[in-house]
Amino acid sequence: MKSLFFTQPFFQKNGKSVALFFLVAIVFWFIFLVIIPQLYMLDLSFRANIPPLERGGPKDFYTLEHYRHFVFGSKTSADAYNFVDLGVFGRTIIVSIFVTIANLAFCYPIAFYIAKIATPSTARLLIVSLIIPFWINELLRSFALRILFANEGVINNVLTGIGILDQGILFITYDVGLYTGLIYAYILLMMFPLYNAIESLDVNQIEAAKDLGSSTFRTHWRVVIPHAKPGIVSGCTMVFMLTVGALATPVVLSSPNTLWFPQLIYQWFNLNDNWSRGSAYSIILLIVSVVFVLTMMRIFKVRIGEIIR
Amino acid sequence: MRSSNTMNFLMGIYILVFFTYLFGPLIIMSFTAFNSAEFPAITPWECFSFRWFNEGKIAYDGQHLAGLFTDWRLHDGLISSLIIGAGVVCLSVPIGMAAAIVLTQVKSQLRDIYYSISIMPVLFPGVIIGISTVVLWDRIAGLGGGGFISDVGRNGIFLTILAQTCFISTYCFLIFVARLQRFDQTQEEAALDLGATQTQVFFKILIPYLAPAIASAAVIAFLASFENYNTTVFSILSDQTLTTVIASKVRLGISPALSALALTIIALTVIAAVTYEVLRRRQERKYIESQEEFVKEKAASSRVNKEYKARLKIPKGIVALILLVIIGSYVATQVVKNDLYGNSCIEAADIIKKSKFLDQLQTLESNQLSDEDLQGGSLGGNQDYGDIFGDPTLFQDFGGFD
Amino acid sequence: MSAGVELKDVSVTFGSFFAAKNVNVKIEGGEFFSFLGPSGCGKTTLLRAISGFQDPSEGQVLIDNKDMLGIGPNKRPTSLIFQNLALFPLMTVAENIAFSLEVRGVSKPERMKRAGELLELIALEGQGDKKVHQLSGGQKQRVAIARALAVEPKVLLLDEPLSALDLKLRQRMRTELREIQKRVNITFIYITHDQGEALTMSDRIAVMNEGELEQIGQCDDVYNNPLTPFVATFVGENNPLFGKIKDLSGDEAKIETSDGVFISSIDKSTNLNVGDEAISFVRPESLFMVKDGNDYKNKLSVKIENIEFEGNVKNFYASLYSGSKIKFSVANAIDTSEIEASSQIELCFDTSKSIILPKGALATE
Repeated sequence: MKSLFFTQPFFQKNGKSVALFFLVAIVFWFIFLVIIPQLYMLDLSFRANIPPLERGGPKDFYTLEHYRHFVFGSKTSADAYNFVDLGVFGRTIIVSIFVTIANLAFCYPIAFYIAKIATPSTARLLIVSLIIPFWINELLRSFALRILFANEGVINNVLTGIGILDQGILFITYDVGLYTGLIYAYILLMMFPLYNAIESLDVNQIEAAKDLGSSTFRTHWRVVIPHAKPGIVSGCTMVFMLTVGALATPVVLSSPNTLWFPQLIYQWFNLNDNWSRGSAYSIILLIVSVVFVLTMMRIFKVRIGEIIR
Repeated sequence: MRSSNTMNFLMGIYILVFFTYLFGPLIIMSFTAFNSAEFPAITPWECFSFRWFNEGKIAYDGQHLAGLFTDWRLHDGLISSLIIGAGVVCLSVPIGMAAAIVLTQVKSQLRDIYYSISIMPVLFPGVIIGISTVVLWDRIAGLGGGGFISDVGRNGIFLTILAQTCFISTYCFLIFVARLQRFDQTQEEAALDLGATQTQVFFKILIPYLAPAIASAAVIAFLASFENYNTTVFSILSDQTLTTVIASKVRLGISPALSALALTIIALTVIAAVTYEVLRRRQERKYIESQEEFVKEKAASSRVNKEYKARLKIPKGIVALILLVIIGSYVATQVVKNDLYGNSCIEAADIIKKSKFLDQLQTLESNQLSDEDLQGGSLGGNQDYGDIFGDPTLFQDFGGFD
Repeated sequence: MSAGVELKDVSVTFGSFFAAKNVNVKIEGGEFFSFLGPSGCGKTTLLRAISGFQDPSEGQVLIDNKDMLGIGPNKRPTSLIFQNLALFPLMTVAENIAFSLEVRGVSKPERMKRAGELLELIALEGQGDKKVHQLSGGQKQRVAIARALAVEPKVLLLDEPLSALDLKLRQRMRTELREIQKRVNITFIYITHDQGEALTMSDRIAVMNEGELEQIGQCDDVYNNPLTPFVATFVGENNPLFGKIKDLSGDEAKIETSDGVFISSIDKSTNLNVGDEAISFVRPESLFMVKDGNDYKNKLSVKIENIEFEGNVKNFYASLYSGSKIKFSVANAIDTSEIEASSQIELCFDTSKSIILPKGALATE
């Protein structure tokens, strides 16, 4: 195994005790924390939902029931497809994509400003200001938005108070609060990869482009954005993954009539005590995430190491 | 030049809007912590009060709305969060470090695979990590029969530590990888050549070099653990952490006590950030001074002068601070003058509300569904409320408590 | 205290690439020995084989007549000074110097005492509490030497430690290194691509090219009597005159080139025969100008193309009749003011100052 995996003999290189510590730590992490739980969940998602006592008994068999349910709905339902769950699923993905795009659009000017225009001290001040809100719990940040957007919240109170509106707008019911909150929640994870990528661009390149007569827009399109591509891909991937898997923000901000996909998983898992179905839905979410990352890697031709560092 | 001026102007406005978006909600929330009303709001402003930091209040309809200081569930949650955070730091920092060091020794053909496995956990949605940990350990507990294994497998705090370690180790891993990339490997060779054993190299060369990374990994790991909700809400089982308590409170109806909590966290954050910034600047200055002897001879003296000038900017901050104090004290005097602070104000407000209470009660009772769900609920979050999603209509009454 | 180092048939391969090939060399105890060669010639690989960081694929490394196979770098009686010095930035100067004693469990007062002695040796008394980054380049250099000497090694290995210094400092450090070596009296094995360094400091040098040893010998011997065209052109500068052997007699030979027939000295071991292709090498400083060259056996008429003033010497670049280029230098003390670009002059050289070698690869700049 020494020459198979490592550039130098492992135990000799690190000393016996340290090498042993490395091995134990890595095996514990990879095998017991990452791989086995996921595999077990995958296995569970193909099993009938039965009480623990009946495991191994005659009712414990493999089935595609849970995946079937996701697509076609319960056997007793009249609909051909499970419109409710599929709807939640589709909406989650589409909204996540829009949230990602919105984040990119919002962050790009700021990232460019901090990286290339601002003086160092201003840049540092802005960066610190960017970080501070994100040290605060996601739930509490959503809560702050909830105060603003509630039916009798600050915005409605102000608007009706001034007399612009007769009646408050139902921000929460129409999910305005949720979308705002989702954009708010992970904006920093778009900002920093973007900033880092743009920061590494030589200012001379921008000036050279301008000197050659390129318009501002064209300079960005042909020089800055291609250079920042790994950062853009990285930011988009992180934001999409986190948004699609978000639970805290929807818990606080989603309207009563609509669910976010992870909320659906939560329902199956905790409220209906159907762990197998919860697992199956989790696997579906996992597949979405993996497919998204692979697609991004394929389309933009970046390596996984460039996405996450 | 004109066009670039307008561009700069637009940019300035955009930055202003952006940071308003970031900070506006937090600032408004901070103000609501001082409004004595039960519902966190700026308007209508009832009285200026610290009650949400302290005792909370017994509402006019008899509900107890806990304040930050008296809410034992928050305190319990905080304690479990601290325990979990400590556990996660103890596990994920060594794991991340080991994995990052081994990355430098893995053959180049295998490096991509190894790296992919290492960062996989952050690509998994948090809920999935929570669920998979729970299902696996439930099974292990089931197989283990009674006794220790079964206890451990159903211990929410233990499971949460494991589940969070799964992905927080990756954060640590990335921090260590970044630091190790700048490590000069000849240092290790030099130490070996001078007679150190491999183990001595690890403890005397590598660990001191990694010390800053260990510190920042520990801080990041703790913060990530402390803030985590998506994973924790599954793996915590019947226990509670600070975040799950907050979540259940928020779902129940938003209380100004949460604003008070948020404000406390914001204050701590800002203090930490400012301290960090000040320390960093001081260190930088020290470093510059220590280097000046060398720099002097070289032509860079003009640069040094520039840096001195940059330092003179600090008074700007002081001016802003003084301005803030003046405005603050003005507002405070106005508040006291107009009797917006203190018990008399709160009592007056309560009397008005009590008179309206009968109407409110009737509205509440007419809403059957909501009533069922609130059964036995002592509002303010003194009961477990796990099934809030189950009832989509609950939020329709959101904000109706006031 | 010093120990000899012997490499027996040492080869180091990385895949199919030979970093070192069949190297045989015996370095005596107490000797200042240099490996000289262009970058990538395998000299660093050899040094790593001696210090124990690289196991030879074949052959043996003997230190003090003991086979070092399987003995790690921390167990060998050698100390290595790295190209980048590899001082520990988080430790003070004294801690750096005493590190080897620390890992051997020597008590702290004793360590500090020894560090103090070594600081004295390198003329940095009382600076032990400084951090490494507070030292100048030359001071760092000396600290690295002191750190390496702290264990009292039998062999000190130096991997181009002067390459990062500026010219003046580099020249001073050469003298200093040589003095330190005499004082501590242990074997120094020095690696460099700078022939000036190698020649000024070493007792003997080994010239390497593409993983193989080209020549081992004393400095003046290697300079005056190179054995291969590579050595002739790598160690110092040399003008090659390509041609064929016309006649052989004793230790002299006639070589016919397109610019005339010359008589140069030849070593018998070259095994050249009449008619073989060969090169006659003449160093720039061995060429001299004459008004009337009839008294000399070897003369060349050249056209000056370019003149370079270097300070102590003046360099002339000229072209021969055949078009090939030649360089010669004249000490500044000699008046050469009448020679200008495009003037036509005659050059001569002594038979004993030129050498005929078989055709082979030259060192490329």
